Amino acid sequence: MTQLIVDIADMKISDNPADTLITYSLGSCLGVAIYDPVLRLGAMVHCMLPLSKVDKEKAKIRPYMFVDTGLQQMLTKLYESGMRKARAVVNVAGGSQVLDSQGVFKIGERNFTVLRKILWKNGLLMNAQEVGGNKSRTVSLEIATGRFYIKSGGKTIYYDLP
Amino acid sequence: MGYNVLIVDNSMIIRKMVAKTLSISDLDIGEYHFAENGKVALEQLDANWIDIVFADINMPEMNGIEMIEEMNRRELLATTPVVVISTERSRQRIEALKAMGVRAYLQKPFVPEEFARVVKELLH
Repeated sequence: MTQLIVDIADMKISDNPADTLITYSLGSCLGVAIYDPVLRLGAMVHCMLPLSKVDKEKAKIRPYMFVDTGLQQMLTKLYESGMRKARAVVNVAGGSQVLDSQGVFKIGERNFTVLRKILWKNGLLMNAQEVGGNKSRTVSLEIATGRFYIKSGGKTIYYDLP
Repeated sequence: MGYNVLIVDNSMIIRKMVAKTLSISDLDIGEYHFAENGKVALEQLDANWIDIVFADINMPEMNGIEMIEEMNRRELLATTPVVVISTERSRQRIEALKAMGVRAYLQKPFVPEEFARVVKELLH
C-alpha cells in the first residue's frame, strides 16, 4: 500500500488500487475527497481559504490553496480522467475553529459555505461530512474501496460508499 | 419508470431548488410538475399522474393545508404521499400535519443532503 500525501494547498488524484490518499491536520482547512466507484478513481484536495479573489496571482500558481479554484480544478481533473458526475461520491472534513476559538475570522465556516455553493453549482451532494467544532482532523481515502477515514482525537471513524 | 413529482410553492426559487435537489439526488424521477399554490396544484393533480407532492404551507389563494384537506377528500388523491417543506416550527402544527397524512416534514431552509435522505427513505 502506498500513501500519497496531500500537502496543504495541494491535490492528489489516483486510480491505483494500492494507493491511499491522506492529508494531515485539517484545522480550518477543508479536506475534500471525491471518488468514482466504477473507475476506482479518487482525488483529494486540502484547501486553506475560501475565495481566490483575495490573491488572484497566488491562485494561478497554487489553485488548490482556495476552495473555489481548488475544487473546480480537482473536478476538472476528475472529469478529464473519466469520472461521471452521477457516480461521484463526495466526502468532506475540516472547517473547524482550532486557532480561532472566539470565531472572529470564521475561516472554517466560510470555507464550508463556499464549498457548499460550488458543489451545488456543480450538481453534487455530499455523502459524508464532518465539519466544524474545534478539533484537528486527518483524513484518508482508500482508492481500492472508496472508504473515507477521519481520524481525530485518537479516534478513527470511516464512511463506506453509499 | 421514474416517479412523477409535483412541487408546490409560491417561490420560484424554492421550486427550482427542490427540483434541482431531486435531480442530483440519485433518485429515479420521471416528470417534474410545478404549481404556485394549492389551487393550481389540484389542477395539476387532476391533469397528471403524480407519485409524490412536495408542498409549502403558506401560499396565496389556496394554502398547503387546504390543498391537503382537499386531496384527502378525493379518493384518487387521498393516498398520494405529500412532503411538506415549510418554515413552520411549531411542533404542534407539525404533528397536526402528520395527523392529516403528511408523510414527511422538512423545515426551510433545508440542507440538500437532508432533503435527499428523507425523500430516499420515503421512496425506497
